[in-house]
Amino acid sequence: MWLPLMGLVIGVIIGLLTDIRIPEEYANYLSIAILAALDTLFGGIRAQLQNIYDEKVFVSGFFFNILLAASLAFLGVHLGVDLYLAAVFAFGVRLFQNIAVIRRILLAKWSSNGEKEKKNDIF
Amino acid sequence: MGSPKNVYFAITATIIGFMVAVQFQTVSEPNVRDTRDTWELRQDLMEEKKIQSQLLQEIRSNEEKLVKYETERQQSRAEVLRDTLSELKAEAGLTAVSGPGIVLVLRPYLDEFGQGETTTYVSPYLLKRLLNELYLNGALHVSIDGQRVINTTVIREISRMTKIDGHSLNKFPLEIKVIAATQQEAEKLFNRIQGSTIVEDFFIDNLQVEIEKPGDDIEVPAYQDPIRIRYMEPAESGKGGGE
Repeated sequence: MWLPLMGLVIGVIIGLLTDIRIPEEYANYLSIAILAALDTLFGGIRAQLQNIYDEKVFVSGFFFNILLAASLAFLGVHLGVDLYLAAVFAFGVRLFQNIAVIRRILLAKWSSNGEKEKKNDIF
Repeated sequence: MGSPKNVYFAITATIIGFMVAVQFQTVSEPNVRDTRDTWELRQDLMEEKKIQSQLLQEIRSNEEKLVKYETERQQSRAEVLRDTLSELKAEAGLTAVSGPGIVLVLRPYLDEFGQGETTTYVSPYLLKRLLNELYLNGALHVSIDGQRVINTTVIREISRMTKIDGHSLNKFPLEIKVIAATQQEAEKLFNRIQGSTIVEDFFIDNLQVEIEKPGDDIEVPAYQDPIRIRYMEPAESGKGGGE
C-alpha cells in the first residue's frame, strides 16, 4: 500500500526538481492527461478493492485514456469546439463515481471490521 | 496485495506525480502579485515609454536607411541605363563627336588656266568607295557636308543629283570630316588616303580632293533625323549570337 504513495511522492519530487516546463499552449493537454491518469488510477484502486483488478486493463487503460484525452483536446482546438470539456466532464464524473465506490467499500470494510471486533469482544 | 500489482501502481503513480508537478510548475508560474503603488507604476510606465521611444527611433532610422538603399538602388539602375543609352546613342551617331581626325575637301578641278568643268555632281559610287576606304583605314565618325554618316545612311542619285539622307550634295567645295580614335590613327588615315587611288578616281570625275593635315579637334555633328528601323527585330537570345 505504501509503494504507490511513495511512487506518487517520488514523481512529484522528480517533476519539481527537474524543473521541466511545457509551453503554455500545451498546458491544456497536460491537464486533460492528468485528469485521465487520475481517473485510471482511482479506477484501478476501486478494481483492486472489488477484486476485479487486471494489470493489462489497468496499464492499457492508463495510456489509452491519456492519449485519447489529449487527442480529443487537440481535435477540439483545431475544430474550434471545446472538446476537452467533454473529456473533463467524462473523467470528472467517473473520478467522483470511483471515489464514491472506494469510499463505500472502505466504509463497508471498516464497519464490518468493527462489527467483527465487537463480535470478538462479545464472544 | 501482490507485489507486481503494487509495482504497476507505483509506476503509474510516479508518472502521475511527475505530470502533476510539471503541470503545477507550468501553470503556477506567473502568479506573482503586483504590489506596486501608483508612484512606482508611474515610474515603470515612464521607463517603458522611454524604451518605446527608443525603439521607435530605431525603427525610424532603419526605415530611412531602407528608403535610402532603395532609392540608391533604383538610381544606380537608372544610371546604368542612362549610361548604356548614351553609349548606344554615341555609337549610333546621335551625338556630336569631336576628336583627332582629318578633313577632306572636294572641289571642282581647275587647271592652271583657271578653267575646268564647273561640275556640281559627285558620283554616289565614288562617295561610297571613299567612305569604305575611310572606314577601312580607321575612321570612326564621318560627316559629309555637315551630314553625319551613320549605319543606315543612304547615298544615292536622284534625278542626276547625289543625295545623302535626302540632303543634296551640290554645293562645292564639299567638306568631309573624319574622326579617328587617336592622333596616331588620324595620321595613319591621312597617309593611307593620300596614297590611295581614290583621289585619282575623283580626278577622273573632275574633282579635286584636298586632304588637310590631321587636326586635334575635328567636330562631327550629330545625326539630325530620327532613325527609323523598319525591318529589324530583336534577336531571340540563345538563337543568335546572344548567350
